[in-house]
Amino acid sequence: MFNIFKGLVGTRTITKDQLGLIVDKMRVLLIEKNVAAEIADKLCVSVAEKLEGKALGTFEGVNSVVRNALEDALTKILTPKKPVNVLRDALASKKNRQPFVVTFCGVNGVGKSTNLAKIAFWFLENDLRVLIAACDTFRAGAVEQLRTHRTRLNNMYPGENPDIPKVFLYEKGYGKDAAGIAMEAIQYARDNKFDVVLVDTAGRMQDNEPLMRALAKLIKVNQPDMVLFVGEALVGNEAVDQVVKFNQALADFSQAENPRIIDGIVLTKFDTIDDKVGAAVSMAYTTGQPIVFVGTGQTYTDLKNLNTKAVVNALMK
Amino acid sequence: MVLADLGRKITAAIRSLNNATVINEEALDAMLKEICTALLESDVNVKLVKQLRESVRNSIDFDEMAGGLNKRRMIQTAVFKELMKLVDPGTKPWAPVKGKPNVVMFVGLQGSGKTTTCTKMAYYYQRKGMKTALVCADTFRAGAFDQLKQNATKARIPFYGDYTESDPTKIAAEGVQKFKDENFEMIVVDTSGRHKQEESLFEEMLEVSNAVRPDNIIFVMDASIGQACEAQARAFKTKVNVASVIITKLDGHARGGGALSAVAATQSPIIFIGTGEHIDEFEPFKAKSFVSKLLGMGDMESLVEK
Ligand SMILES: Nc1nc2c(ncn2[C@@H]2O[C@H](COP(=O)(O)OP(=O)(O)OP(=O)(O)O)[C@@H](O)[C@H]2O)c(=O)[nH]1
Ligand SMILES: Nc1nc2c(ncn2[C@@H]2O[C@H](COP(=O)(O)OP(=O)(O)OP(=O)(O)O)[C@@H](O)[C@H]2O)c(=O)[nH]1
Ligand SMILES: [Mg+2]
Ligand SMILES: [Mg+2]
Repeated sequence: MFNIFKGLVGTRTITKDQLGLIVDKMRVLLIEKNVAAEIADKLCVSVAEKLEGKALGTFEGVNSVVRNALEDALTKILTPKKPVNVLRDALASKKNRQPFVVTFCGVNGVGKSTNLAKIAFWFLENDLRVLIAACDTFRAGAVEQLRTHRTRLNNMYPGENPDIPKVFLYEKGYGKDAAGIAMEAIQYARDNKFDVVLVDTAGRMQDNEPLMRALAKLIKVNQPDMVLFVGEALVGNEAVDQVVKFNQALADFSQAENPRIIDGIVLTKFDTIDDKVGAAVSMAYTTGQPIVFVGTGQTYTDLKNLNTKAVVNALMK
Repeated sequence: MVLADLGRKITAAIRSLNNATVINEEALDAMLKEICTALLESDVNVKLVKQLRESVRNSIDFDEMAGGLNKRRMIQTAVFKELMKLVDPGTKPWAPVKGKPNVVMFVGLQGSGKTTTCTKMAYYYQRKGMKTALVCADTFRAGAFDQLKQNATKARIPFYGDYTESDPTKIAAEGVQKFKDENFEMIVVDTSGRHKQEESLFEEMLEVSNAVRPDNIIFVMDASIGQACEAQARAFKTKVNVASVIITKLDGHARGGGALSAVAATQSPIIFIGTGEHIDEFEPFKAKSFVSKLLGMGDMESLVEK
């Protein structure tokens, strides 16, 4: 891919013409790795702008200079602006005798419920009591899906006293108002000393106004500690539109002065994409928020932190 | 309309040829660049986009065309032909035969919409007067049987499944046999989501396929999928005999171009599209009228079918 740079070695300063050709190739390279075209464009333009007119060192080729600049840019996008430590935050909440509330949202079928269950497992492993709120009251089987996870997790973490379960499912069946159920669930968690509340919501398309309004309401009235956007690594250019419109809807429909928007991203199905890891860049770049968890499979232990270096390497390969 | 954005951009690119004073290699390249950008922004696989560009370029020989030939028309036809290839592999779409059991097996990546679409399709044929039934051969996903059961019950479609049996092959074979014995005409088998990286899941898909010997295997794709689609679709096709494609979630903003790669990779036509979570949000798909509508070209078929 980068062989084209060879002929350019030895120039004193980097010219616009040299960059034009390289930038085009870089763009396609990123798009091939599933970075949204719009983001690939912006990234390449900014790298080119930064390098234009820059003097080259004696042994430096344009090739490696561009490569390094792009690598730096990608690393910066994928590195959280402030450190994320969900467990520490949850423990701080526990100290204040308040349940730590996390809401999961995203479009249909991306893995919200499954990764919620994995995160429940992770909290249980860390000795916190978890309440799951079944606030997808629409999709067929959504409640039973969580019930199955609850039962499995309960068997894994039975606790000493069956009256004080480590994991609990707060459910009110189908058709009811999700925001209301979330509120009851949080109250139940407070009353029964659960440390963490994980709120599952129905999948929704970012353009579906009634459903986006309902989500904004759920978040506004319940003020969770964390709003996680769940997006799948399989998604292409849509990644940008999804996060932009989720944020927009949460802001516009909440009619609040300081509306709550997406605090972090759960990037799922990372095991299905080989080296086409670009969705991570699209989502992180667009939201400016950290990728808090990465889903790498369908079992409880398939939950990882983002390995920024590995992702950047895959992108540059 | 579905893929409307892409259509608009391509149409605009082709129109730009009309404004060019001379139609030469440069004008062609400029137009192709615009089209390719639009395709990439719609998630069409990078390899397919490169192929399209090459094919159009190779089919236009400016030296030979020097005479009175209508260059614009030639270029347009070449572009249409290549776009058609993206959505239409040229094989005849499968259709069920009344009066005999038609076994259809759904396969696809996790969360692509298989279970939802199974009921939609069963419902569609039920309304066309066929005796239809559903079989839940997903023993893996939490709540999978409940999901299918609730959907089927709502649509009054008979279904088969088992809460305790963990072997999907066994359930699939039993369910299909049961409904065959009862003279059902359309028997739809839902399976678990899977991906090429997990070989055991692919092995399981092959076993289910061997057990039920489906008349048609449908690969279900989410419209929002990006560049990973091609490799996955190819792997599914290599393992089992995928013969049709359904693209779901086209009610969203997604342009669906990534899913189109599944057509090329499986050499299978898109037969239906899903446009919502509700059971009737489901439409048959006709590639030819789709592309001509997409490009706002009523006479496209006559252009291509020569
Ligand atoms: N391979 C893989 N599959 C996953 C991952 N996370 C979730 N899945 C699968 O994706 C499918 C959909 O997951 P769900 O958790 O039901 O998705 P959802 O977003 O809750 O779906 P809706 O509630 O219907 O919108 C299931 O088959 C999961 O097993 C992952 O990290 N890797
Ligand atoms: N908006 C919209 N949502 C859809 C459409 N088709 C399916 N869905 C939703 O997508 C999500 C996943 O659908 P499922 O039918 O469970 O997908 P699946 O392929 O069976 O998932 P697994 O069995 O876990 O692999 C659900 O929330 C469905 O309601 C569609 O055409 N439009
Ligand atoms: Mg869910
Ligand atoms: Mg399913």
